[in-house]
Amino acid sequence: MFRYLVRRLLQMILVFVATTFIVYSLMYATGGDPIQALAGERPVSPTQRAQLIREYGLDQPFLVRYWNYLSGLLQGDFGKSLTGREVSDIIAQALPPTIQLAAIAIVTTIALGVTVGIIAAIRRGGWFDNATLVFTLIIIGIPIVVLAPLAQLIFTIKIPIFPTTATSGDLYALLLPGIILGALSVATAMRLTRASFTENQRSDYVRTARSKGLSKRRVVGVHVLRNSLIPIITFLGIELGALMAGAIVTEGVFNVPGVGFNLFRALRTEDAPLVVGLVSVLVIIFLVANLIVDLLYAVLDPRIRYE
Amino acid sequence: MQVETARPVGRHLLEVRDLFVEFHTRDGEAKVINGVSYHLDPGETLAVLGESGSGKSVTAQAIMGILDMPPARIPSGQILYNGEDLLAMPEEKRRAIRGSEISMIFQDALSALNPVFSVGWQISETLRVRTGMSKADALKRAAELMDLVKIPAAKARIKDYPHQFSGGMRQRVMIAMALAMDPKVLIADEPTTALDVTVQAQIMDLLADLRRDLNMGMILITHDLGVVADVADRIAVMYAGRIIEHADVHAIYKQPAHPYTEGLISSIPRLNSKGQELATIKGLPPNLMRLPSGCKYHPRCPYMQQPICTDVVPPALDLGGGRTSACHFAKEMLDGQLHR
Ligand SMILES: Nc1ncnc2c1ncn2[C@@H]1O[C@H](COP(=O)(O)OP(=O)(O)OP(=O)(O)O)[C@@H](O)[C@H]1O
Ligand code: SF4
Ligand SMILES: [Mg+2]
Repeated sequence: MFRYLVRRLLQMILVFVATTFIVYSLMYATGGDPIQALAGERPVSPTQRAQLIREYGLDQPFLVRYWNYLSGLLQGDFGKSLTGREVSDIIAQALPPTIQLAAIAIVTTIALGVTVGIIAAIRRGGWFDNATLVFTLIIIGIPIVVLAPLAQLIFTIKIPIFPTTATSGDLYALLLPGIILGALSVATAMRLTRASFTENQRSDYVRTARSKGLSKRRVVGVHVLRNSLIPIITFLGIELGALMAGAIVTEGVFNVPGVGFNLFRALRTEDAPLVVGLVSVLVIIFLVANLIVDLLYAVLDPRIRYE
Repeated sequence: MQVETARPVGRHLLEVRDLFVEFHTRDGEAKVINGVSYHLDPGETLAVLGESGSGKSVTAQAIMGILDMPPARIPSGQILYNGEDLLAMPEEKRRAIRGSEISMIFQDALSALNPVFSVGWQISETLRVRTGMSKADALKRAAELMDLVKIPAAKARIKDYPHQFSGGMRQRVMIAMALAMDPKVLIADEPTTALDVTVQAQIMDLLADLRRDLNMGMILITHDLGVVADVADRIAVMYAGRIIEHADVHAIYKQPAHPYTEGLISSIPRLNSKGQELATIKGLPPNLMRLPSGCKYHPRCPYMQQPICTDVVPPALDLGGGRTSACHFAKEMLDGQLHR
């Protein structure tokens, strides 16, 4: 177990370095003039330019710059955004609303996707099962760039039960964008739950459990459920990481001042340090979520032993 | 003569009467069980034999009440337990019998045990859930049961999971689980098929000992005639969802009264017939969607005679001494007068 953890941590570091390197090179290779981007519309005099170049270390070779950036990261220094603010400050402000948004989305996914999936599996072939199948197809078919503004139009303007934007970042305002974000994985979660549940219902151990004279409720609620949860929890863990990143559109539509919103803006203004910083945070969250899922997996399934 | 004072005349511990089971499939109705009858008394072992697909497991599952209905359907028949028809009982009452009065063990213990619960948990589950025994007491009883089925260091292994046991030990875990509620009837569906030959013998011995010590009635399902000689009292041979011969073990080995049984017996490998090619039954098992007319065995039978075998379904002929055979020429066969 210990050796497994060490190996996983080394892998994570490797993935982290590689991802940040790729994003870093892409950001600095796409051309564009960072100094001009920084100054906006105003003209930049040669002396100003030279000073800024030195200040941001742009005169050094690329690899050296990347190395400086990385070692800064390890000390918690994300560098400065082109807006002049510390990147770490921006991250600290953007993270809470995004985490709240993801939490609402995951709760939505579980409450809707998993429960409905279980009911559909138990009543396989019935009208409920068929209705949810059609529903999931529709949801999967609508891309979020359509779904989010549509929901905004319906639930904040036509039937104004939610505020139009969530700039304030209070929990109630985050409810609608959170549910929208979760809706995407609801369909997948439903399908996965139904498939996993159905497969387990057909297993030999279910026949054994029934032959023990257990009630149907207990066979399904204890024996089948416990086994079906293994892939579902894995999915939810990975989904949590993906949700954080996938929040870009939803945060943009609802003006949630989160990681995705800031990332979108940073990309538009070619604010390379901010982009790299935000992506690094997302990568870390994703990697940690994955590690937790793998460890949870071993707890849920005793057949899995990490060596 | 058997002396059974407590039991009303003609009443058995368990009796299957003229049972029919069909499965609804995409291609039509599969007539899987076509009038099975057999019975079991306390303390005896009935071996149910027959090739793959003859309906041995489906009959057992019908007795347990664990058939999936649909696709299965039981158009007619009775399953009497202590004289009461299990098929006519309300489900709650039947569930009280399932697993406590009548228990079953399955072929492949690895897939038949739940992979995510410890063996102690699984053995003690029925005790906790059905008798309201405390968790600690139930686990203690589980350890005793594991001792009973001779699992070494039972107490230490109670928290282990099924995949941590060898095949033989896993089968013992399943036996312990089936015995938790002191059943009167134990149905063992090919309990040794998935195991190594040496382990097979150990499990068979264990089952025979337990059957005797606990005075259970045991239905031993197998397609291996070789293993039954030592443990079974009576044999019921199944073909196409029917018992085609039923007899005492010794009688059947001495002289089978049905051509199919004869075919089965001559296909057992024997030590003294080294080098000789094994006789096998020619042809394929019948298509359950379209069963042959008359005797279901006629397309494969070396003694088949037209038109009687192809047109008339042979009734189960009573040959005396509890022996029956569903062949038109059972008497001739028994007298050794039937020739190809
Ligand atoms: N759920 C089902 N749907 C359709 N057909 C089924 C179903 N279950 C069993 N059968 C059919 O019933 C027949 C008898 O099956 P059963 O399992 O009783 O055979 P068996 O005698 O136990 O054979 P084996 O020695 O292989 O275990 C088989 O032909 C099988 O295909
Ligand atoms: S009835 Fe005819 S076909 Fe059937 S087993 Fe007897 S001899 Fe063979
Ligand atoms: Mg079988």
